[in-house]
Amino acid sequence: MPIEKSDLLQGTLDLLILKIVALGPVHGYGISQRIRQISKEVLQVQQGSLYPALHRLEKRGWLEAEWGQSSNGREAKFYKLSAKGRKQLASEESNWNRLAGAVTQILQTAN
Amino acid sequence: MSWWKCLLPKRASGTQLDSELRFHIEELVEVNIARGMSPEEAWRQAMLEFGGKEQVKEEVRDVYRVRFMDTAIVNVKAAIRFIRKSPSFSATIILTLALGIGANSAVFSAIDAILLRPLPFPEGDQLMWLEQFHRKVKNPMGRLAPTRLEDWNRMNSTFQAITGYYTEDESETSGILPEKVTAAFVAPRFLQVWGVAPELGRDFIPAEEHWGGPSAVLISDRFWRSRYGGNPNVLGKKVTLETVQKFSCSIVGVLPASFLFPDRNVDLWIPVPLGNPNPYANNRDSTWYLTIGRLRRDVTLEQARADLATVQATLAKAYPKSDGDLGVAIDPLKEETVGGARKSLWLLFGSVSLLLLITCTNIVTLLLARARQREHEISVRFSLGAPRSAIVMQLLTEAFVLTLTGAVLGLIVAGAASKVFQFLAADLPRVDEIRLDARIVLYTLACSVIVTILCGLLPAIRGTRGNLSSSLAQTTHGQVSGRHPLQWLLVGVQVMLAVTLLAGAGLLLRSFQALGRVSPGFDPSQVLTFHLTGSYAETGNPKALAQRIDGTIDALRGVPGVEAASTSSGLPGLAREYEVELKFTDGEANPERKILAENRFISDGYLATMKIPLLEGEDCRPGLGTQAGGALVNRSFANTYLSGATAIGRHLKALMDAAFIGPGEIRGIVGDAREEGLNREPTPTVYWCGNGFDPDPFYLVRTRTEPMSLAETLRRKVHEIEPARSVFDVAPLEEHLGEAFGEDRLRTILLSFFAATALSLACVGLYGTLSYTVDVRQREVGLRLALGALREQIVKQFLLQGLRVTLLGCVAGWGLAVAFARILSGMLYGVSPTDVATLSSVIFLVLAVAGGASLVPAIRAARVEPMRVLREE
Repeated sequence: MPIEKSDLLQGTLDLLILKIVALGPVHGYGISQRIRQISKEVLQVQQGSLYPALHRLEKRGWLEAEWGQSSNGREAKFYKLSAKGRKQLASEESNWNRLAGAVTQILQTAN
Repeated sequence: MSWWKCLLPKRASGTQLDSELRFHIEELVEVNIARGMSPEEAWRQAMLEFGGKEQVKEEVRDVYRVRFMDTAIVNVKAAIRFIRKSPSFSATIILTLALGIGANSAVFSAIDAILLRPLPFPEGDQLMWLEQFHRKVKNPMGRLAPTRLEDWNRMNSTFQAITGYYTEDESETSGILPEKVTAAFVAPRFLQVWGVAPELGRDFIPAEEHWGGPSAVLISDRFWRSRYGGNPNVLGKKVTLETVQKFSCSIVGVLPASFLFPDRNVDLWIPVPLGNPNPYANNRDSTWYLTIGRLRRDVTLEQARADLATVQATLAKAYPKSDGDLGVAIDPLKEETVGGARKSLWLLFGSVSLLLLITCTNIVTLLLARARQREHEISVRFSLGAPRSAIVMQLLTEAFVLTLTGAVLGLIVAGAASKVFQFLAADLPRVDEIRLDARIVLYTLACSVIVTILCGLLPAIRGTRGNLSSSLAQTTHGQVSGRHPLQWLLVGVQVMLAVTLLAGAGLLLRSFQALGRVSPGFDPSQVLTFHLTGSYAETGNPKALAQRIDGTIDALRGVPGVEAASTSSGLPGLAREYEVELKFTDGEANPERKILAENRFISDGYLATMKIPLLEGEDCRPGLGTQAGGALVNRSFANTYLSGATAIGRHLKALMDAAFIGPGEIRGIVGDAREEGLNREPTPTVYWCGNGFDPDPFYLVRTRTEPMSLAETLRRKVHEIEPARSVFDVAPLEEHLGEAFGEDRLRTILLSFFAATALSLACVGLYGTLSYTVDVRQREVGLRLALGALREQIVKQFLLQGLRVTLLGCVAGWGLAVAFARILSGMLYGVSPTDVATLSSVIFLVLAVAGGASLVPAIRAARVEPMRVLREE
């Protein structure tokens, strides 16, 4: 069952976007496709959340945007990670791992 | 609602976002088509999956927009909460600011009305003040002869029109009792130059401006209302002026209430006809008209000056005797009207801005202390991930809300303050035009923005600079001692600025004292002065004029209570500047030497009235006509031009203005008197005896009691012998002398007030900062007391801390006062702008007051109970 927007933990979408973009310049459609593929259709990002998030991250200076040609030759807006964004990704990633580890620990211990 | 959209960054808007989203949809469509859907179905499914393009766009835009508005609103709400949470702290700041900004706006409203705005006439900047001047001497010959005015008007190419006027105080006798009116006699083109039309009726027609034409008069709105009750059928009624002979003219129009030229007292404007065949009207040496011109469009002042210089050069060739030595001076009418007040006004504005600066410094100190108390709150916000800019914005918003409230209150203060200013500055030009309008409100708002930046930025930046982890870890209780160099620096700055203002006020006060100590050479007390209406037409028969005035003086002398009576063309102690080049007609030893002297016209009895001593020879002889009365010279004149030789019996003659001055025999030498102003050294002066020169001199009456108590008796006496003339401007001589220093008094009073306020603000700053230091160091003090320190030592230590900063501020203030001393030069009398006595007494005062302000917290520090403080830890 796909997890909808409301079920995603606050801030998680940002982390996902940063991670996908870290793999290389990509446009909004590409990001939504990759999140879907990699999560094996579990995570489906709504466009209404994706684009505001992209612009918010760009405004904070974590993403940089550039217009370029897509694989089928159309004009598209490509996002890539800035130096600041790379630092942010590292810290969010470690935060997430700590959190996830802690949650898992609790779930296992409580059993 | 759309004005703030321009604040949005361009990135979020328009086609870029549109094509970004379209790309996404088209990719979806392509995938759907690849799955075998029809293009229409593929499009519909894609749109469905995308979920409302417009909605997405709107949400993306919100990323940029809503944050801006939201944070502003949130910040303002937080600021209001903050203000309500600490009402006394906020009230202190708001009230201080209200006073600082209010005083500043009030003075600015005066500067705006008097100096910045154009004169209240259509295209007032085109109006020019024209004067002729003699190239060799300085004297008030600026008035033009009618023929020369017409020449200038005809021959120039840079003015739309040139006109002139002179005023006379007359009796108007068409009513039951004679009424004193002020009439302006005007040259042709008068209203054309002003660009003003009558509110009722019409301007003069050409026939009325020519000799032998119908008589006409324009009346003022005030005269229309007071004399005719605002009756709209006033046109055609007769106004009768009666001085020598009856002169009636019919009213052709009423001028608007806003037209107050030459001044607010003028009731009538009467045209002086052209083409008067009488020789007096065609004399090129006569000095009738004060002259005004309106420049053509696109003509500069320099062009006009060059143009009229050429015109006058042509006239000099045609009439070498009368026009040969004359030059032309042109200045904007506004400059002529308000130029004198400029220096005082900017001085006041400078002082009141320094005061605002002190206010700001004071508030910075308060906010800094406050920011230290909020360190904890701020570091918590930091650790929750708020960016520094957001916290700085929040602190600035707090400052802005405080300042804005202060500014709004300040406007109310300014309203009251400008009333006070108008009262104190009644002698300044254009004071009636001062009002609080949109420009002043705008200025006040601009002030509050600048104040916010000045006051808010430093505390906001400092308050958010701290390393957040360390500041969280360490609580303020752990601190033993805080040095706060910045706060102390600010206190020093306040003291410095206050000392500068006090020095200025002190110098002005000392200058006033020095003026009071001056011995003027005459005795102004118990002298009543007044005017009696007279007409220049009377100068046509000097003998009759002299007899008329002599008769009045004799009648005045007969009134019980009168010690002496006389006339003078100018008041003693008030500048007249009638300097003329003279010549001894009975041979001059050194013909190269120029004899320049001030000239005054007096009647017999002047010396007795003014108590000026006669040193040699005899007084003016009574009852003689014009020149027969001879002349008196003062000691300076005798010493400068007749050193060693006898003065009595020499004959003097003027090189110009011979119609009015001499020739005459020197009959006596009198003591030097400060006739040209109490603040001016006596200069060589010639007193010409006789009453045939001036139809409207000042009457001077020395009384045995308080002068005004005799005013009514004298008025009745004059009415008995001169029923058609009116007495006006009755005032003691001392009042006139006081008015002469009205502007000096204004700036002295206001500057002293600003300086006193500055000193109290600086003391509040000192007190506040020292109290804060004492609070922070309570534990240290408690510890030292517990270890055996004496309470006197504690008091001494804190007292010295306060006094040390004050002393440094005083030294810096002394330097600043000396640096700014130049501004005051020309406003001071009998005291140097760097007067050591004044400056050191200012510093003594500041140290004494600062000592008082420091003593309270210092004593409080020493009262600390060691056990209680240590237990609290």
